[in-house]
Amino acid sequence: MSHAHETQKKPTGPAPLHGLLAEYESPWELVDAATKVRDAGFSRWDTYTPFPVHGIDKAMGIRMTILPWLVLGAGLTGLASAILLQWWTNAYDYPLLISGKPFWSIPANVPIMFELTVLFSVLTTLGGMLVLNGLPLPSHPLDLKERFARATDDRFFLLIEASDPKFDAKDTRALLDSTKPAVLDEVLEDRATPSEFPKALVYGMVILTAAAAVPFALAAKARFSKSRSPRVHLIQDMDSQPKYKAQRENPFFADMRAQREQVDGTVAVGELRDDDHLFRGKIGPEYARTFPPQIPLDEATVARGQQRFGIYCTPCHGFAGEGNGMVAQRAELLASTGAGKGMAWVPPSNINQAYLRQQPVGQLFDSITNGVRNMPAYGAQISTEDRWAIVMYLRALQTKSAAGH
Amino acid sequence: MATSKNSGDKAKSEAKQADKAGASSAAEASFGDNIRAADVAGSMVVKAGGVGIAALGVSVVLGMGQNDSFRHFSLSYLTAYMWALSIGLGSLFWVILQNLVGAKWSVALRRVGELLTATIPVLGVLALPIVVPIFLGHDVIYIWADHAKVELDEALVHKASYLNPSFFLIRFVIYFGFWTLVGRYYLGQSLSQDKSGGESIPLRMQRVAGPAMILFALTLTFCAFDLLMSLDPHWFSTIFGVYYFASCVLAINSTLVLVSMWLQGRGRLKNSITVEHFHDLGKMMFAFTVFWAYIGFSQFMLIWYANLPEETIWFKERFAGEWGNVSWALLICHFIVPFFGMISRHVKRSRKGLAFWACWVLAVIYLDMYWLVMPNLKTEEFPIGLMDLTCLIGMAGMLIAALAFAAKNVNLVPVKDPRLPRSLAFENI
Repeated sequence: MSHAHETQKKPTGPAPLHGLLAEYESPWELVDAATKVRDAGFSRWDTYTPFPVHGIDKAMGIRMTILPWLVLGAGLTGLASAILLQWWTNAYDYPLLISGKPFWSIPANVPIMFELTVLFSVLTTLGGMLVLNGLPLPSHPLDLKERFARATDDRFFLLIEASDPKFDAKDTRALLDSTKPAVLDEVLEDRATPSEFPKALVYGMVILTAAAAVPFALAAKARFSKSRSPRVHLIQDMDSQPKYKAQRENPFFADMRAQREQVDGTVAVGELRDDDHLFRGKIGPEYARTFPPQIPLDEATVARGQQRFGIYCTPCHGFAGEGNGMVAQRAELLASTGAGKGMAWVPPSNINQAYLRQQPVGQLFDSITNGVRNMPAYGAQISTEDRWAIVMYLRALQTKSAAGH
Repeated sequence: MATSKNSGDKAKSEAKQADKAGASSAAEASFGDNIRAADVAGSMVVKAGGVGIAALGVSVVLGMGQNDSFRHFSLSYLTAYMWALSIGLGSLFWVILQNLVGAKWSVALRRVGELLTATIPVLGVLALPIVVPIFLGHDVIYIWADHAKVELDEALVHKASYLNPSFFLIRFVIYFGFWTLVGRYYLGQSLSQDKSGGESIPLRMQRVAGPAMILFALTLTFCAFDLLMSLDPHWFSTIFGVYYFASCVLAINSTLVLVSMWLQGRGRLKNSITVEHFHDLGKMMFAFTVFWAYIGFSQFMLIWYANLPEETIWFKERFAGEWGNVSWALLICHFIVPFFGMISRHVKRSRKGLAFWACWVLAVIYLDMYWLVMPNLKTEEFPIGLMDLTCLIGMAGMLIAALAFAAKNVNLVPVKDPRLPRSLAFENI
């Protein structure tokens, strides 16, 4: 922008009147003057003092500010934001167990609730104060008055603006004269200071505002897109923990193994299994001939046994336990014909054989648990109670078969 | 060295000048106000004292009726006593604080605060029903007073070097000796200024205030440990003293409001104490309502988070059953309701509004004390009864009588304090 262009834009002629400025030597004189100006009904006027003067609000007739309500609203908003933030992050979006406390735990949230309430309130107090006072004000006609600098030191000023509807060059001067100011002066409009913000400042603010949005944009993009590269990881504490992992070397121990074996005789809670009858089907050295007392002798157990038998046993032993399940039939077929001809196949036992009928229930339980001959162990797949239920169903099958013969 | 001496001298001479100017203006301010309590205080000594002694007597009779060798009575008495002590200690704190910071706004109120410190020796005497059983080795209130029971408890054996009757008595004498001394010092200095108008007196009171404040903080903290926290001698919380301190500050600001309004109702101090002073007292009540909640929560949260049985047991007792309702009531009535109730400037500047909240705050301080003390009774049913009320009335009566007795023949305003004109003309911005 050229200098000529600037001067062209400026209006010519003497600067119009901005207002009348009265200067006082004490705050009491100012309060008295302000009372008079207030009573005269002016609306566009203000006072300037080096320190807060008690009673000036009343003298000027300044009404209660709305700021407290804004701050209350902001404080409650901060409180609600804190609750929502903590509920969203830790209880809803990414539940994370901390110190065994509930995911959404109010006592743990209170400090943040307090902090955000205070933060929102304080920022609103500051921002609201600035906005309600019309700040920041880049320039003011009073800036050109040299005397006015003493408003920050030892003088008290009162300015009535010419734009006030009640302003009258003669009457207003008379009014201010009657308050006996030390100096009464005219303030002219400011034509030296450009009325617009400097362009550089405006562009700078735009660029900074745009730059401030970048981190949020990146965060939003990362949240809703997929990527093959590892995430940016500022705090590495969880990745590189100072600890030994399984199968690694640890020179601290003589055998150099980081992974330690359990101490001899270690038993996990609830896995002692010292009931021989229930867990091994034995009473003393003998196989038990009765069911353990923990297993109820009822229809439900037999039904459960039938179901488990259907799942685990019928493939080989068949539905009636006669040793003619699908696997057995197929194996027989293959052993006698086709590709598997000549291979050895030990057929599964028929559970209705006399020696099996006479076997103690404990021994049948043991066979299921640990396997027998070609039959594999089922102790790992089938729970203790279910193995006993299968034994009970077996007995029912044997009884039925015997009755049928 | 030289410069600091110079500047010190300069400050001294400046202070002297300011004193001179202030004193003359105070003398000029002809006191257009009734500042002698005289007859109303005289009749109050008899009335409140009579009611107080009668109520305490009734409490003892009710206590005998409990048939539990005064256990219930002692805890009810301790609850009311700690409530009353919070007013006495609050007044001492308030007076030291005004002198420490050289407060100008509060000068018109300060004499009432100084007179309230005269309750401290009376509180020392009222502590006898608590102290004597300890001295005699009875565990009616504190289990650690009984040597035989301490022997059975490993933890108490280790704490016995602190928690034992003789050391407790030494501490008790130190606490009340110190508080009485400081209270008498400030009241005495202030009264002597009424006569002599001594210009150096405010400066002297300010110099004493620094060390006095430090010692006050220590004595209050350990007194709260001794009288309240040691009810459950296994439990400990280092913030406990501050928690009790919060009640003390709340109590004195509420009491100043009520006493000032009562005096104004009797035609005293009508022009000296203005809505601006009440507004400031209200701000302090509001601020310390938040402070109380802050400290109370700080104590709770660390214990809740660490979840150590030896610490959580104290809250467990107070969160279970009926006591859980009291805990909720405390949170709601001691913080949430007064927070929103007192937040408005208009409430604090309204006489009726502020008087209501002052009564409310004193009531919830009692609730807080009840919550601190009474769970130790460990009764099946909730232990509230008539005896709690008579103990409270008794304590309040004795406090009022002590205050009225001290106020009988003195000015209710420090008339020659050079800062008084500024206090009288004080305005909130």
